[in-house]
Amino acid sequence: MLKQREQSAFSYLYDHYSGALYSIILNIVPDKDLASDVLQEVFIKIWKQIESYDNIKGRLFTWMLNVARNASIDAVRSKGYQKQQQNRELTEHVYFAGGSTETNTDKIGLKKVVNGLKEDYKVLIILSYFEGFTQDEISKMLGIPLGTVKTRMRSALSQLKQLIR
Amino acid sequence: MEIKVYIESGIIESYVLGLADPEDVLEIERLRKEYPEVQQAIDDFSIAIQEQALKNAVMPPKEIKEQLLAALSFQDPLTYKSVAPMHVAHNSNLTNENRVPSIYSSNTNWKYLAAASIMLFIVSAIGNLLLYNRYTSTKNEYAALINERNTLQANNQVFQTNLKNYQSASEMMADPSVAMVQLKDPAHKKDNMTTVFWDSKTKDVYLLTNKLPAPDKNQQYQLWALVDGKPVDAGMLDPQCTSLCKMKNIPKAQAFAITLEKVGGSPAPTMDQLFVMGTI
Repeated sequence: MLKQREQSAFSYLYDHYSGALYSIILNIVPDKDLASDVLQEVFIKIWKQIESYDNIKGRLFTWMLNVARNASIDAVRSKGYQKQQQNRELTEHVYFAGGSTETNTDKIGLKKVVNGLKEDYKVLIILSYFEGFTQDEISKMLGIPLGTVKTRMRSALSQLKQLIR
Repeated sequence: MEIKVYIESGIIESYVLGLADPEDVLEIERLRKEYPEVQQAIDDFSIAIQEQALKNAVMPPKEIKEQLLAALSFQDPLTYKSVAPMHVAHNSNLTNENRVPSIYSSNTNWKYLAAASIMLFIVSAIGNLLLYNRYTSTKNEYAALINERNTLQANNQVFQTNLKNYQSASEMMADPSVAMVQLKDPAHKKDNMTTVFWDSKTKDVYLLTNKLPAPDKNQQYQLWALVDGKPVDAGMLDPQCTSLCKMKNIPKAQAFAITLEKVGGSPAPTMDQLFVMGTI
């Protein structure tokens, strides 16, 4: 009976949130097969850690979203994925000269909103939120002082809030 | 008021999205308790993000849920029958009737697969053992065959050498310039006999041992040529030579004799050890 109640709870959680989480995972992991793997991993993590989730700290969805984002960035940064991407880029450049199915995932979910930001802001959000770089790393990558990255990031997030509303 | 500027600064969003520095996180978690506006702003943005995400949801492939339910093992095969009808009440009939049996069967499938793989392992282990045994016996048989072949080859070489010897002997005997001398026991008591072939052109001497007693280990037969009444050493009889043995070159002789001497021969024949003798 307990198992059965647990299963209903899990089904509820999955049926309500899997689509929203899959969307953010696809924003970070454009490969659909890998994104599906990440989604499974995310739900297993969520289910195993749900008891340690503290609802005073934040909303359940916010927590799940962060689990999904972190798992996705980890997946993209894994060695296996990097290698696969290199191979894919090589073959795609040879045969198609660009234009992969991956660009489609820019047009869904949060990334769609971020793409509506002005270029300076967009770059910062993509690098920090979708690619997981720290502000320090971004400062070095873009050759912009860390202070500027911080203030510009804040402005970008304010803008983003306006767009989401 | 300053807190309003703080709220508008973008730090709330960075906190909700998990982009805030550790110091910022500490600050905001302190301020959210102090200022209800901060808590409100956090909630507002969290809800906005959630709604945006739900609105833009992308449905994942159907099988993922099934795999997750199986992975988290909600479904115990033993309780399957009692549990199943309650699921039908929960969700739509179609998806459940499709899904629950598939989990059930996938669970038992694992057991069958495990049993099958163990069986396969045992069968393969037995197979390996049988093959190993066959391999060992084949290896031994092969070694025996190699041995046999080597023996046969060695025998064959011996026969070939013998044949060549006999061929050259018969050729020599047929040659009219070769004189054949039969050497016999001068006392005519024993039937010891050897034959000497003397080529009058090349002066080569060959000895054919027809019948001579085997000498002691420290003794050896020595052939003598009698030239004008004097014995001349014509060579030692090699105990290894079983057929026609080439002896020393003798330009001229009237008779041949064989004595038994010490191994290596003597400068003069020991006459009381004269075994055979014959004149040309």
